[in-house]
Amino acid sequence: MKNKKIFSGNYFKEFGTAVAKGDIWVKLSMLIMGAGYIARKQIINGLIMIALEAVFIITYVFYAAPNLAKFGTLGTVQFEQVFDPLTLTSKVNDYDNSFLILLNSIIALFIIVSFIFVYIGNIKAVYRLQKQKEAGKHINSFREDIKALFNEKFHITLLTLPALGIILMNIIPILVLIAIAFTNYDQQHMPPSALFTWVGWKNFKQLFTNSTTLTFGYSFGKILIWTLEWAVLSTLTTFIGGILMAQFINSKKTKLPKLWRTLFMVAIAVPQFVTLLLVRNFFADSGIVNTICSNIGLTDFLKSVGLVNANLTYIPFLTNPTWAKVMIVLINIWVGVPYQMLIATGVLMNIPVDQLESARIDGANSFQIFWKITMPYVLFITGPSLITDFVRNINNFNVIYLLTQDVYVTSDQLLANSNAKEVDLLVTWLFRLTNEYYNYKIASVIGIIVFIICAGFTLITFTQTIKGSREEDFR
Amino acid sequence: MKKKVLAALLATSMVAASLVGCGNSGNEAGGASSADNSTAADTTTDNTAAADNTAADNSAATDTAAADTSADNSAASSDDPVANLIAATTDTVKLTVWASEEDQALTTQLLEDFKAAYPDVTFDITLGSESESTAKDTILADVEAAADVFSFADDQINELVQAGALQPVAATYTLDVANENVAGSVEAATVNGTLYAYPMTADNGYFMFYDASVFSDEDVKSLDKMVEVAEAAGKKIAMDVSNGWYIYAFFQGAGYELTMNEDGSNNCTWNAAGATDVAQAIMDLYGTNVLVDMSDEEMATAIAEGTIAAAVNGTWRAETASDAWGENYSATKLPTFNVAGKDCQMSSYSGYKLVGVNPYSANIGWSMLLAEFLTGETAQTARFEARGLGPSNVAAASSDAVQADPAIAALAAQAAYATPQRVGGNFWAPAETLGQILADGSAGSDLQSVLDTAVEGIMAPIE
Repeated sequence: MKNKKIFSGNYFKEFGTAVAKGDIWVKLSMLIMGAGYIARKQIINGLIMIALEAVFIITYVFYAAPNLAKFGTLGTVQFEQVFDPLTLTSKVNDYDNSFLILLNSIIALFIIVSFIFVYIGNIKAVYRLQKQKEAGKHINSFREDIKALFNEKFHITLLTLPALGIILMNIIPILVLIAIAFTNYDQQHMPPSALFTWVGWKNFKQLFTNSTTLTFGYSFGKILIWTLEWAVLSTLTTFIGGILMAQFINSKKTKLPKLWRTLFMVAIAVPQFVTLLLVRNFFADSGIVNTICSNIGLTDFLKSVGLVNANLTYIPFLTNPTWAKVMIVLINIWVGVPYQMLIATGVLMNIPVDQLESARIDGANSFQIFWKITMPYVLFITGPSLITDFVRNINNFNVIYLLTQDVYVTSDQLLANSNAKEVDLLVTWLFRLTNEYYNYKIASVIGIIVFIICAGFTLITFTQTIKGSREEDFR
Repeated sequence: MKKKVLAALLATSMVAASLVGCGNSGNEAGGASSADNSTAADTTTDNTAAADNTAADNSAATDTAAADTSADNSAASSDDPVANLIAATTDTVKLTVWASEEDQALTTQLLEDFKAAYPDVTFDITLGSESESTAKDTILADVEAAADVFSFADDQINELVQAGALQPVAATYTLDVANENVAGSVEAATVNGTLYAYPMTADNGYFMFYDASVFSDEDVKSLDKMVEVAEAAGKKIAMDVSNGWYIYAFFQGAGYELTMNEDGSNNCTWNAAGATDVAQAIMDLYGTNVLVDMSDEEMATAIAEGTIAAAVNGTWRAETASDAWGENYSATKLPTFNVAGKDCQMSSYSGYKLVGVNPYSANIGWSMLLAEFLTGETAQTARFEARGLGPSNVAAASSDAVQADPAIAALAAQAAYATPQRVGGNFWAPAETLGQILADGSAGSDLQSVLDTAVEGIMAPIE
């Protein structure tokens, strides 16, 4: 809404009119923001505006300006300290912290931009007051203004807090992330001891190109493909598994449905990372599953079929790329199906019984009913959540990281040279780049790309699936 | 709305990690100390002289410092820096110390002793738990929020120095760090000629422990012989070769070099002429399936289960091994291995645990004194008695009890072939993969190109 107004040009046109046609008080408001209100007897509004302006000027001079002045270079004074062995104290210079400069500058830019909007809004409001006065209309008192915030303008009151939260917790961090992608923030340039600075598109180039020593391009391609494969596989398997499971438990022939449902719920009740770490140990090269497999001769059988390398004495469940990928998908089914089952149960309980009954009277068998009525209904209801599931699986950090960390060693040397593994998703790669190698710059670029992929995918599918009122079509 | 929030969350999760870096501003640390330090400029010129002086009257400093303070509190011009510091300290000294989980009880006791040594000063010391092996990750996440005094394994020193997370040991007061500790540990605590940390233990390297009922003293001199014996006995030998730390033993032992440049990149000759023989030797050894590639945790299980009769590992597994093998538990230096008909002694990384002081500490002076206290002879002896950790202090290490410990004796025997760990961060991932594909035999026949690729990764330039 607001955006439309700004870009249609009306926003600035109104501002222009206000400036041109405003009387002396409106013009004075351009210098002292509260002047227009005070002239129309809205003293408190006026004082608030003046206070706001004062706060802004103080913030600008003491906070925004010093930080923004260094924004171009992200700081030039390196940390230095001189230790005095006689007094056992050290003297530290007034050093720049590139990260704080970056963060503070972005916050400062935010403050400035919001102030400009407030400023323009203020002039227009004051001009509106002038016109109301000229037309002899009633001008709200401060008490009436406050009241309005709880009545006709209640949406403003309600949205202020969430909006602030999103700006602080989401938008500013994202802007910082985007900015870091254009710097050389890595282990060699870690504040506070070292400075980092702008490098333009260099990191993006590095991620998409390949050289003999820097294999980021190669790794990125491989990991992106596996990430998408994984997202599709894990979403589909858990979804189908969940619906089937719910169907079986809901079936009238199943005895003790509550018992079964509770049993599967227990899998959710145990924290996922506990389960995953245990499973990782079960399937270790010398773990319990391998011991059993070799005792019953499964290991030798798989060797003879060629599924396991003849040199090995164990099944490389989580240490061979192909085995590990299959295992990860299977283990994810086990961990993820109960959630889907829970959702599907709710949906299945709400299927219109009349439809099912009329189908049965018409002579449809159970499979036909499931395929022609249940599935479309479930798909329709859970479609949007399926999309969010897909996006969540692109970023499914837990399963992959917990199952393979410290266990999986890549055998692809080119991947190793850029600290990647075959089983890595973009997020786990990103995590290890930051957490183990402090390569924030490349991680930020990957972060941006994950963001673009997820946002793009969500946008397209949402607009496709929720187009018009499909519910009517379905009925 | 939903998609916006969702998309935002994705990115936030990443930024959260980097945002941690903006805790408290380091200025408070600087401000406090620079205020009462206007004469710093002219006194720092003779750092080494000061160190020498204080080393000479070490004992005097500790003994008299506490006693003298009440007499000349105001006379800040005293020659004794510790007395000066005590005189200059009026507020409560707040310090945070990180020690490993297992070291908590001992460190608590040592901290009490430290407080008792300076009765005129009020301390408020918080003890946190942080494993020596992961200290670097926590510290580098936010140097300014890290503890004032922390212990860490010496393999992390390069990265900590690079990130400016270690206060150089410019002078010593109650402990002559450079001369009271074994030379190797001092070398391990020194980067580019500057001493950066206080050696605490000398037991973090690796060696061979074995079951004497399977191997004789003669057998354990050669890895190839050990493999033969173990095969006959139906046992296995474990070494985690898919780990840069251990695979180094083979290449360094055969004379191929790995060094670190000043900018943190590496120099590596593992693909030089003849290096394929080393790779072939590793492949052959692991190809027998008697020498097996196992991670530390797997090794612990396997030793307890009795499938393994010898393992290359460190003192942290000594207890597991001695529990499993009882009287037959023995330890020795690493064996030789055969490279194209020639026996080469396996090398190793010598390992030490060090104590470091955070340069962003608000109480640098007290932090340094505490670090000296925690690594002094008394503390190291107490640490050996309480936890069996091998002392780096010469006097503490010469005690009979220490000498009698087989693991520590084995480390001492290996010391002649061990080198301190000087390697840049780009080494680990390529070396890990190199070990992995040599051990599982998937390296193929073109070993030269395998080594070339690994070395390219190891030597990747750093901007």
